Amino acid sequence: MKRLRGLFLLALLVVVLPILFPDNYYVTVVAVSAALHAILAVGLNLLMGYAGLISLGHAAFFGVGAYTSAIITTRFDLNPWLAMAAGILLTGCIAFIMARPILRLKGHYLAMATLGLGMIVQIVLVQAEGLTGGPDGLGGIPPLSLFGWEVDSDLRWYMVMSTVMLLVVWLALNLIDSRSGRALRALHGSEVAAEMMGIDTTATKTGVFVIAAISASLAGSLFAHQQAFISPDSFSFFFSIELVTMVVLGGMASTFGAVFGAFVLTFLPELLVVFEDYEVMIFGAILMLMMIFLPQGLFVGLQGLLRRLLQQRAPARLPAPAEEDKHGAA
Amino acid sequence: MALLEIDGLSKSFGGVTAIADLRFEVPKGQVYSVIGPNGAGKTTLFNMLSGIYRPDEGSIRFQEREITGLQPHKVAAMGLSRTFQNLQMFFNMSVLDNVMVGCHLRTRSGLFRAALRLPGIVREEREANRLAREELTFCDLERFVDLEAGALPYGVLKRLEIARALAVGPQLLLMDEPAAGLNDTETAEMQRLIRRICERGITVLLVEHDMGLVMRVSDRILVLDYGSRLAEGTPSEIQNDRRVIEAYLGGEVQYAV
Ligand SMILES: Nc1ncnc2c1ncn2[C@@H]1O[C@H](COP(=O)(O)OP(=O)(O)OP(=O)(O)O)[C@@H](O)[C@H]1O
Ligand SMILES: [Mg+2]
Repeated sequence: MKRLRGLFLLALLVVVLPILFPDNYYVTVVAVSAALHAILAVGLNLLMGYAGLISLGHAAFFGVGAYTSAIITTRFDLNPWLAMAAGILLTGCIAFIMARPILRLKGHYLAMATLGLGMIVQIVLVQAEGLTGGPDGLGGIPPLSLFGWEVDSDLRWYMVMSTVMLLVVWLALNLIDSRSGRALRALHGSEVAAEMMGIDTTATKTGVFVIAAISASLAGSLFAHQQAFISPDSFSFFFSIELVTMVVLGGMASTFGAVFGAFVLTFLPELLVVFEDYEVMIFGAILMLMMIFLPQGLFVGLQGLLRRLLQQRAPARLPAPAEEDKHGAA
Repeated sequence: MALLEIDGLSKSFGGVTAIADLRFEVPKGQVYSVIGPNGAGKTTLFNMLSGIYRPDEGSIRFQEREITGLQPHKVAAMGLSRTFQNLQMFFNMSVLDNVMVGCHLRTRSGLFRAALRLPGIVREEREANRLAREELTFCDLERFVDLEAGALPYGVLKRLEIARALAVGPQLLLMDEPAAGLNDTETAEMQRLIRRICERGITVLLVEHDMGLVMRVSDRILVLDYGSRLAEGTPSEIQNDRRVIEAYLGGEVQYAV
């Protein structure tokens, strides 16, 4: 199946890596974070890359998911999977309610509004000490278990996280390659024309906002169980920006671009020591440079370059426009 | 019975009156043109008919149903489609995908079914693909199917917008200046295309500045001046109308019928 070739390649990589490099720190620890980031970036990319709606507050939904899981499992002793579902439900509801007022806005205004949403959630996490543990965070979150199979080692987390990542990528690919996916992209291309084609643009925007939020919540729940301890620092404005950088670096409107961006920006800080002190600056610089020099993103840019190289060898197959001359718009 | 009935329609922007107490009817199965000088209110009229602007006053009845104030996607669902004066292409998509978006109302699957690629999706995709290719062929665009919309020249984009609007499966197609910016060959092609659309049983409401094209292609013509009706009738009636000649044509425009 040509449609899913990329997904199979990714799956192959996921399986082969731990076999080639067993017990390797980069595989069993860093790659797990990268897969988590990929889940977040793929969801955000549906919103930002495909529908063209910027969000500077995506960490908020990640946080709501993580804290819902943490609170329900530690304070009420409920099943982690139930907690995860509750997180998804709660995040979905918040996103659904926020979508209408927020998504009416465009450009800078939308950026500011989502930024505000992110800040409010962050403040609530810090202030609602009785529930969230405040700035000190919440610990003692139990591990996940699947029919008695405890997810308690690095390798097992690698398996769980990368499986969920593959699943999310599969869902995203299906979605984009469908009637609803075309509606998303049409919205980005021309909102008025999309409406005129019979697309309920308000409902479509709400739908994609909820989907992006839900996937972030799912990632948040996984994160909480994996870390066993969470604090508001993980859900700050800076993390939202990091996610945006991943999407932009990989290339907007490309699911594998988002995965690529997530992996690059997770591995780089591990490999480069300078990152430790200048992390914020480096992410900022990457964002700026990408916007100026490669707005279509690194992954998409490289893909295009590769295609051009291949095409130079094979004869070009563009139809020759016979009588269609280029005219300036009247 | 008329397909579209407009009565007492008015719209102003601040102090500017764009459409004032307009009344006309579009018979089914015809090419009906709206002409008038720049700023006469033609595009504003289209925007009200398609639900993009809400009229200040008046009513719009389409297929004997009131559509005044409906959102554009609801109007589209009732069988009204349009093209735009300034291109509104989905430049981030391929030619085929652009037209497949037009098939939105003829397919059903929602987000959930699509994400899980439940049975039926593949068949539905194939159906949308077939419909889109049909409209592309109808508009003589089949060689561009696999290209990105952004790579096409202006004249082709004008036809692509029409193919996309046809994919909606409309009863009424509003075309806002389809021949603007086209050369003579392309304009002749456009004229044939408009007639062929009409022959399919789709009523066409046309706004166009090219008087030659309007006179050759229209069954009836409405002349707008400052948002009001100046005259209405068949092309020969309009050509011989004293008020039209004075106010708009000014005797300087010549055309063959
Ligand atoms: N959104 C708007 N806001 C303010 N004024 C507007 C708006 N749309 C149209 N107008 C005004 O309404 C009047 C009619 O404009 P409209 O675009 O409908 O004219 P038109 O007949 O389509 O002209 P053209 O032949 O140049 O396309 C003009 O005076 C225009 O400036
Ligand atoms: Mg106009």
